[in-house]
Amino acid sequence: MTGTVEALINLMMADQVAIPLLDPILNILYGIPLLGHLLALILWKPLFAALICPGFATLGGLLMLLPWIERKLVARIQWRIGPHEILPQMGGVIQLLADSLRFLFQEVIVHRDAKQPYFLQFPVLSFIPALLPLLFIPAGTIIAIESPYGAQIVLAMVTLFPLFILGLGWASNSRFAYIGTVREAFVYFGYEIALIVSAFAMIVLYGTSDPLAISGMQQVPGIILNPVAALAFFIASAMATSRLPFEIPEADQELAGGPHVEYSGILFGLIYVISYEKVYILSGLMTLLFLGGGSGPEIRVLGDLSGLIWFILKTLLVMIALIALRAIYPRYRLDQALRIGWNPVFTLSTIAVGVSLMEVLLL
Amino acid sequence: MRKVVAPDYTVFEHVKRHVEAVKTAIREAIIPESVTCSYPKERRKMPASFRGYLIFDPDRCISCFGCAFICPANAIRMKEAEDGRYYPTIDYGKCIFCHFCLDSCPEGALKPTKIHDVAYRDLDRMLTLTEEMIEPPEIIREDKRYVEYVIDGRDLHLRRVDGEDELLVDLPPPSKVERIASCIDPESCTGCRICEEVCEHGVIRSSVEEDGVRMVIDSERCTGCGLCVKECSMRVLRLVRR
Repeated sequence: MTGTVEALINLMMADQVAIPLLDPILNILYGIPLLGHLLALILWKPLFAALICPGFATLGGLLMLLPWIERKLVARIQWRIGPHEILPQMGGVIQLLADSLRFLFQEVIVHRDAKQPYFLQFPVLSFIPALLPLLFIPAGTIIAIESPYGAQIVLAMVTLFPLFILGLGWASNSRFAYIGTVREAFVYFGYEIALIVSAFAMIVLYGTSDPLAISGMQQVPGIILNPVAALAFFIASAMATSRLPFEIPEADQELAGGPHVEYSGILFGLIYVISYEKVYILSGLMTLLFLGGGSGPEIRVLGDLSGLIWFILKTLLVMIALIALRAIYPRYRLDQALRIGWNPVFTLSTIAVGVSLMEVLLL
Repeated sequence: MRKVVAPDYTVFEHVKRHVEAVKTAIREAIIPESVTCSYPKERRKMPASFRGYLIFDPDRCISCFGCAFICPANAIRMKEAEDGRYYPTIDYGKCIFCHFCLDSCPEGALKPTKIHDVAYRDLDRMLTLTEEMIEPPEIIREDKRYVEYVIDGRDLHLRRVDGEDELLVDLPPPSKVERIASCIDPESCTGCRICEEVCEHGVIRSSVEEDGVRMVIDSERCTGCGLCVKECSMRVLRLVRR
């Protein structure tokens, strides 16, 4: 028994997140019996990736921050002020905390016609496609599960999202939700192939789909190697997040929220963050494929955290770019979005595969 | 009939337009040109001619009823004061802030202010009595600066200036034409003595002569309010230049 625990601790100690700056403190803390073990467990790289970054804690923090960044940035561009009244000294930064508190205490109304078990389950289950891809996205050298097919698995998980949104709309059993659901399915057909093909172009270029290997290979970031693929991937991910200018399924003006029109309380809160989760995951994937993941000038004292910081910074940049589209473009019609998805973006992604093949053959 | 069709742009023009849109967004994100005035904390600087809350100077009022006559919303009623004269009261529940009363006042007894944010507890209190109109209402000022809108070229800009904007307007008294009431056709006067009753200042006197009632206007004391002119049933009174 003791031998197993010893072996387990040795296994964890062998693969710790190295932070030279904090080493003296950590060494003292490791000496304390229970706390030391707990710390070793948390700093064990796979668990650190799943729980802290890029996993659960970072996702939670971003979900708290991202809607605020979005509202503030879009307000700036549109000559407004944005969230202000809650903590005005900080520019209303805890706005979403207040919102989520409100969602938490609001009554969850399950209407008579809803298919009750699914109506309650789907919002909670929709966290699965949000959390699982994060296990395969590396933040620098920190990754939860190393897999030679990491990029494909992330893409597969991302394409699971519409399934849950279809489920939401179906369980709501309301006509607005129904129309929104059908639109979601349509838009899904519009972007999915372009998204996968443009990611495929990068995998062809790198010759591997191991996320760690991909981020290690990019001395020159992928966006310079294949800008066509980057553009196609960016537009496809803007469509995938179903936010403006492709907010077709939700369409506040005519569908009053689409698939989640019947939801209230904390269930609505869970659905509200789905698109932000998507933004985070797709930005992470874009950072990995096109911006070199966690590569950047290394800060020696931070050790493994250096790559992590670069990864988060680049992801934030991509997320802000995705979010700012809201202020620039009006919403496209469904047929226009489908045309954009099938015509220019699909063409771009096909060209990108050609570009990748050319580069692989020539270089 | 002309059919409206979407403009047929080439790919190059499309790209150019997209780039323009993104450039504008980036410029505004870095240096936004906000035109929002955060009202209780800063006020917009209103021009002196702003049509706001009215204040009243009873010393200048000649009780001519001009404001009450002209009011299109019937918000102004003349009320008899203790000294026997009539002064205006304004019902702000009816007032449409056209400031016709102010324009019609020959003596400048009604004065404009830039106050536009007065709250009342109920409808009855919106009827502002003469005594309440003499002093401006009590205002809690939260503003530390005021905001001016400047049109520069074709764009509207906002300029913030520190300091409080003075809400009371100090207008010079109107350049008035001295006028007095006079009878243009004494032959037609029926001697009904309405003008004598209506005169607030006791300027018109009547005396019974052998050929009937004779009216006399004391032109020295006449204020030219014109009440007698309005009321004269035979239309023989006129306001003339002094």
